[in-house]
Amino acid sequence: MTTADSARALVRRGTAVTVVALLALAGVYVLALLYTPVEARQGLAQKIFYLHVPAAWSALLAFSLVGICGGLYLWLNDRRLDRFAASSAEVGVAFGVVMLTTGPIWAKPIWGTWWTWDARLTLTLFLFFLFVGYLALRAALHDPSERARFSAVVGVLGLLLVPFIHLSVYLFRTLHPQPVVLKPSAPSLPPEMLRTLMVSALVFVLLYAGLVTIRYGLAVMEEEREERFDAA
Amino acid sequence: MPPDNGGYMVAAYIVTAVILVSYAVGLWRRVSRALRQRGAP
Repeated sequence: MTTADSARALVRRGTAVTVVALLALAGVYVLALLYTPVEARQGLAQKIFYLHVPAAWSALLAFSLVGICGGLYLWLNDRRLDRFAASSAEVGVAFGVVMLTTGPIWAKPIWGTWWTWDARLTLTLFLFFLFVGYLALRAALHDPSERARFSAVVGVLGLLLVPFIHLSVYLFRTLHPQPVVLKPSAPSLPPEMLRTLMVSALVFVLLYAGLVTIRYGLAVMEEEREERFDAA
Repeated sequence: MPPDNGGYMVAAYIVTAVILVSYAVGLWRRVSRALRQRGAP
């Protein structure tokens, strides 16, 4: 099997997973609208939770994997790790856009403001900008090994921000609610809400896997084109 | 009585679908362009 064949196979597999995940996302919409109860104090706006939280988790997962793969690349010098990190960063930025748009839409009716410069929100915005910068850096550098090394360092720096973002609601006074699932004690949610949240989180992870697989296949094709161009 | 704020929920659900589907479609278009450039069927 040639490199081009394996890239095409990856894109096909990623496409199948992405289509399934997008259909499952429609199922999450139905679950959230029909199965979960309306929260007494927040009303229907609380149902944004089932998209905002899984999008935030997936974005943080994606950015963490960029940092881990970046660190491993600096150690092992394996181009597959760099390709995966670049793919994960791009998909993470897409999930980051979902997180940073649904958050303010939820905040407006509950907090009375679209945005507030508290620790959780500000650190998350900085992390998002850092990974937009990561993608810009990759686009600006032509030499593959230089691009991989420099962006790996940025990815590792981004990874260092992730635990601060998770702990920011404990470390600082913030409007953002404390975790209801990812905390030392048992989740503090009614069963219907918890089940829907978990299903949504699984669907977002599946979507992440599908999109990253397509993006990885595309990265293989782009590298092959760069190599042909350099050889010509 | 819960507050009447369903419009925000609808907006967030639409925005999420638009962002994710647009990104997926954009990715597929980039792949098909890359395949065309290398002369694949």
